[in-house]
Amino acid sequence: MNSAAEARFRIQAVTSYRRAVRVIALDMPGEDVVRRLAKGGWEHTSFLSARQEMLHDLAGQPRNLIDEVDTADLVVMIAAPGGLAYTASMIGEACSARRVMTTGLIVGGISAPEGDVSKTLMQLRPWSLMVVIADADDYIDHMLAALRG
Amino acid sequence: MLKKEQNDLLTQTGPGTPMGQMFRSYWIPALLAEELPENDCPPVRVKLLSERMLAFRDTNGRYGLIDEFCAHRGVSLWFGRNEDCGLRCAYHGWKYDVTGQCVEVPSEPDGSPYAKTVQLKSYPLIELGGILWTHMGSPEKRPPLPEWEFATVPPAHSITTKRVQECNWLQALEGGIDSSHVSFLHRGDLNTDPLFKGAKGNQYNLGDLRPVFEVVESPGGLYIGARRNAENGNYYWRITQWVMPNFTMIPPRGDHPIHGHFWVPIDDENCWTWSYEYHPMRPLRSAEVAAVRAGKGIHVKYEPGSYRPLANKDNDYLIDRTAQKAGRSFSGVEGFAMQDASVQESMGPIVDRTKERLVSTDNGIIMARVRMILAVKALTDKGVTPPGVDPAHQRVRSAAIILPPDQPFKIAAGEALTARPAVAPASV
Repeated sequence: MNSAAEARFRIQAVTSYRRAVRVIALDMPGEDVVRRLAKGGWEHTSFLSARQEMLHDLAGQPRNLIDEVDTADLVVMIAAPGGLAYTASMIGEACSARRVMTTGLIVGGISAPEGDVSKTLMQLRPWSLMVVIADADDYIDHMLAALRG
Repeated sequence: MLKKEQNDLLTQTGPGTPMGQMFRSYWIPALLAEELPENDCPPVRVKLLSERMLAFRDTNGRYGLIDEFCAHRGVSLWFGRNEDCGLRCAYHGWKYDVTGQCVEVPSEPDGSPYAKTVQLKSYPLIELGGILWTHMGSPEKRPPLPEWEFATVPPAHSITTKRVQECNWLQALEGGIDSSHVSFLHRGDLNTDPLFKGAKGNQYNLGDLRPVFEVVESPGGLYIGARRNAENGNYYWRITQWVMPNFTMIPPRGDHPIHGHFWVPIDDENCWTWSYEYHPMRPLRSAEVAAVRAGKGIHVKYEPGSYRPLANKDNDYLIDRTAQKAGRSFSGVEGFAMQDASVQESMGPIVDRTKERLVSTDNGIIMARVRMILAVKALTDKGVTPPGVDPAHQRVRSAAIILPPDQPFKIAAGEALTARPAVAPASV
């Protein structure tokens, strides 16, 4: 039986609702990535930064971390190698308390010095249920598309 | 999810398709050497990448892989006679050598040059590690011979089987790089299967059903690490290798052989699942070979006279609801291989990825797709050789290893992830 025949009587109803994604930069390179991503017209993803202790939007306005996590299905934290992802624990604790899935994404991590990657990994690993080390920062575009962000 | 055009791009591998061009960049397993056991033995039908061919071994032991059909009237040469350094069509006696060159057209006058003008399409067929490999791309771009460790260790160290899988190759591959299913689909077999049981690593697996995953790009594809807590604050890592486009190596367990797969498209709705088992340091034990022959581990029992699994979709994979209910088997299907095949085939011949709902733990699958789409584009637009063609990308190993918590596994396990002759695999 070919694909068309096999699929003919599969029910076509919607199986799930869109998920809400928060993409949060943890350092300056991460914020550069997030600012680029924010121009992409993502329907269900909000872009924030936590590189300076507090959570804020890309216009610099403070945002309430608890409110953001409460309304999220997935939180993606973005950082570069170098160990400046200090706020991962703050975000991770909030997600952990509310059972929200977390992904840590290290961009530029393939060609970076081992020590720099280690430092960021140490900050992200305790708070990430999935870690991705990618070289090109456009991986997150593909990831968000795949996750229907 | 993928857009329809992306799904089509990755799943269609016939002649003239972009992904087909990519597959034609590699040496791929075509058939087991045991399928052509002696000179002038019967030919074997081979369908790969949506091309129907015939493999044969001539009087001098040369292997050939040629178009299945006679140039004269389109008769299948499978009905032909393999004799005197060529395959002779049963219909009118046209004869071809292993390169597909027609060497005799009996109806033409003696000395006629006509036969020289007839040439069937052919591909090279070389034996390595008990497998006959072919390269279906242009001869000018023929890559160096494969250097996968399982195919280059002494013959007694390695055994390979194959089975037909009734779905698109990508569905099967994605099962191989989706480590998160192991704790469910294969639960119950780790402690009983002869090719898995007894390893200390199994205790970590069964003690933590929610591993944390890390996906890291490698030169040839991806490292997919599954992390569980070990003693003294360390992590137990199981690191799977995926090398583009269709090779995986599963992390070893204890002193058991290392195993893994190739998934080779037959056509767009069927593939060959190749399953290898090898040990870099020692010959396989007779009990291990017997277990493979008995369909244990990642291998299967067959329908007699075929490479189709005995448990298949026509008999609902012989699902045992009693075993499922009693907790002896999570899925009720026996064996790792058919547990995988049953769920993957149930998705349909080519799953509609526009409808799927991926989650964060699917990042291995997502990144593999991204890497392949980018590689296909680079190949078709700029002629860039895709990852995995370079033999250096093939000299890899999977690993099961305990590491300190601050270490990137790619660095800390670096040597363990490379095939090194006479060096034991990293295994727990």
